[in-house]
Amino acid sequence: MPSSGPNTEISKTENGLNYCSTRGPAIQPQGPEAKPLPKITIDGSVIEFMPGDTIMQAAERANVAADIPRYCYHPGLPIAGTCRMCTVEVEKAPKLMTSCSTPAGDGMVVHTRSEKVMKSRTGVMEFLLTNHPLDCPVCDKAGECELQDYNYEYGPGTSRFVEEKRVFKEATTKNLSDKIVLNMNRCVHCERCVRFTDDVTKTNDLVMLNRGWKKELAATDEQRGLWNDYQGCLTDFCPVGALTWSDFRFEKRVWFLRKDTSICDRCSKGCNIEVHSEKEVVYRYLPLFNEKVNGHWICDEGRASHNSIMDPARVVAPMVRPEGGQKPMATSWETLVVDVKKHLKNSKKVLFLVGTDATNEEVQTIKSQASRLANQVELLAYNGTPGINSGKDNKPLDHLLRQSDKTPNTRGVENAGLKIWDGRDNHGADLVIYYRCGRAGAQVIQSIPIILWGVWNDQESKKYNNLVALIPGLATQEKDGSYTNCDGITQNFKMAVKHRGLGLSVNKVFELIS
Amino acid sequence: MSNLVITKHLHEKDSQKLEQYLLHQGYKAAEKALTTMTGEQVVDEVKKSNLRGRGGAGFPTGMKWSFMPKDNKKPKYLVCNADEGEPGTFKDRLILTKNPHAMIEGMLIASHAIGSNVGYVYIRGEFHKEARVLQEAILEARKAGHLGKNIYGTNHHFDIFIYKGAGAYICGEETALLNSLEGKRGEPRLKPPFPAQVGAYGMPSCVNNVETFAAVPFILREGAPAFAAMGTEKSGGTRLFCVSGHVERPGVYELPLTISLRELIDHCGGVRGGRKLKAVIPGGASAPMLRADEIDVKMDFDSLAKAGTMAGSGGVIVMDETVCIVEAASVLLRFYEHESCGQCSQCREGSHWLARMFHRIENGSGTEQDLNFISEICGNMAGQTICAFADAVTGPALSSIRKFRAEFEAHVKQGCCPLKPKHTHVNHTVDKGTGRGASHA
Repeated sequence: MPSSGPNTEISKTENGLNYCSTRGPAIQPQGPEAKPLPKITIDGSVIEFMPGDTIMQAAERANVAADIPRYCYHPGLPIAGTCRMCTVEVEKAPKLMTSCSTPAGDGMVVHTRSEKVMKSRTGVMEFLLTNHPLDCPVCDKAGECELQDYNYEYGPGTSRFVEEKRVFKEATTKNLSDKIVLNMNRCVHCERCVRFTDDVTKTNDLVMLNRGWKKELAATDEQRGLWNDYQGCLTDFCPVGALTWSDFRFEKRVWFLRKDTSICDRCSKGCNIEVHSEKEVVYRYLPLFNEKVNGHWICDEGRASHNSIMDPARVVAPMVRPEGGQKPMATSWETLVVDVKKHLKNSKKVLFLVGTDATNEEVQTIKSQASRLANQVELLAYNGTPGINSGKDNKPLDHLLRQSDKTPNTRGVENAGLKIWDGRDNHGADLVIYYRCGRAGAQVIQSIPIILWGVWNDQESKKYNNLVALIPGLATQEKDGSYTNCDGITQNFKMAVKHRGLGLSVNKVFELIS
Repeated sequence: MSNLVITKHLHEKDSQKLEQYLLHQGYKAAEKALTTMTGEQVVDEVKKSNLRGRGGAGFPTGMKWSFMPKDNKKPKYLVCNADEGEPGTFKDRLILTKNPHAMIEGMLIASHAIGSNVGYVYIRGEFHKEARVLQEAILEARKAGHLGKNIYGTNHHFDIFIYKGAGAYICGEETALLNSLEGKRGEPRLKPPFPAQVGAYGMPSCVNNVETFAAVPFILREGAPAFAAMGTEKSGGTRLFCVSGHVERPGVYELPLTISLRELIDHCGGVRGGRKLKAVIPGGASAPMLRADEIDVKMDFDSLAKAGTMAGSGGVIVMDETVCIVEAASVLLRFYEHESCGQCSQCREGSHWLARMFHRIENGSGTEQDLNFISEICGNMAGQTICAFADAVTGPALSSIRKFRAEFEAHVKQGCCPLKPKHTHVNHTVDKGTGRGASHA
């Protein structure tokens, strides 16, 4: 079984880019008649590249591409060659060449920082800034803005533009959908967004209207707005603050955010994410490049899921139903432990359900410890996504990332030897313990007492009339562990944020109650 | 005049009709090429004639045809660029309305040379009448067997279809034209790959101008040497010059390329009313202007390039002493501001900036500093973009400031146009509703 962690080798911050720009080293051809790889010299360093690479892609192989500024180029999108920011000087070429689109040639000598190149970049920066509103103090992108960063590096410093700036009155703040807000005045017309909807999501829901300096971004269907499921990615690669994620607007200045890597638990794909938090409050998830799993993207459902950790309705304190009481009440761990122990002792047979969102490590712990809880323990897994009764039932929902299995570790739980419970048969048990991390379904079992454990929210726990206790646990981003995704790839992850409630890890809880 | 290639019989009634065209050995050249010559022989003949593309860039036509792949694995497309939009140019519409069969015959010969079975005529959106005349001509030719299957009993099939543009100047650029033909945004493509490898619908394509095609039948009929002899050493044949502006008799003139600009103006009756000449744009709006003392230059591609301008599309705009050069340049730049496709940063923002700056200077609110900026802005634009549009913008901007700087300085010093009384403030506004420019004097 292949095992790997989230792609932590190249972090965005180290690269100086808002997205990961990585292409592995060129693969040496095998076989007796294999020709040696072609080589290109970029700023004095000799780089081997794969035939067909452009200069930029060759630079990515040696991890020196971040030195070349770019707006329209993105490693996950088709090449446009329109921003003219990535021009480099190629020896023996009469003009400056765009490194994103010029094919690398064997023996080519490239200078990315010659005087001519720097002058051209300053020129481009000056042009791009002529009509830019320069509203960085109120722009959410400030701090991670490519226009800002490159302006510090290449910009002219002062402006000679004294004409009236272009203003798109209607598109100064325009909702393209309930998730995306457009500010057209900030746009630098790199058209990454248009190419993304054309070639990655293939939904064609963004277009450029008009031409020249009046070119304006709009939803193809103004009434419907954007309809692709990866709209958040538009805001990731938008080099300026033209496209912003409505949930993050005016929430936090980006330089306060701590960046940790984790795995998204919204479906069985296991996309790599970067958790952005301040003081253990999660503000957003961004995709983290992993060629084997999610490439450059994550879906909107996953991106919006940062809200669930911070959900005010999440139960983060132990709860028990008092003797003869109507409602479960919050209590201390001491009371809970006494109560749970009493229920376990009185039980003849316990049905222990493990949600398919438990990490591989938690499943192992439960497997080894569960039998000590009561006289007889039946251990089963539970998924709860309609139509998913095993890992094999998972179907991709589109050609990109989204999967029909909405739990992250069905394959891992199955690999540990647990059968998936059908949701009906009680197996003769007189007590149910259900452990899950917030993703597996909330199956209502009315006939026998139930102990809920893990990540639950108020509304869900209220459905259980026979709830006797609730043991708070940790969500995916709050613990270490590993998930095995729908393709069988096991990925380790570390704690991204500290749990802010009274929840405890599975190991700790077993120490207390057994 | 016996040495006319395209306009020889245009004065005759119904010259656009097939029967009239057939009276003057029409389609004989195509028949000869298809029945007695191979494709390579046709290409060689065109190469020998020194025919150069009449669209603006002046690329040798025979060489362009020889770049087309020889194998027959993929379909190849022949495209005629009839998106004549260069300000000051109106030669193609003359051919399309008065001599469309010359162009059709030229396309037929070209299709044989490059091995193509389908031809598209990308015609400018505003050319309604021209498109109608051309469509009638195509129908006539199809009916008479000059287009269709097994033309002249050979195994060559060829047919022509008209595609109407939507009125964008940039679609005259060949790769933007191909994008538009495919139904995409009319934006120039990155090159390489060139259209000869990846053109219309991803297939090898050859794009030529209307006038280029119309000259081909003459070459095959009269022989390459006869055509080459009419021009200079490197550029054969005659050329249609579209003379507009302040001459006595503006119009389209077919003249040999050996003529000089001064002779051309005299040929059109000289500057109107005997006034003094001020400036000439010799090859469509994109060509840098020439001063009155620079007009002793031959009108072929190389001589004009040596004079620091270009032969371009053959649109000669003559301006006499009543013209304010700043206003003329401002009007041209407003055109470019409106027509930039907006892909490349420099062109999109630069054309806008220059247009605004010239407009300001024209209205007397320019500064000495602005005049120095112009050449720097142009320097940051020229040669840095995907297509040659940015270079075209710098043509009128740079040449006007370099050659008529005194006039710009007068605008700055006097705070108004020296040629006009102060109260006739020229207000070039852009109509918000239509996006079109409107001039209010």
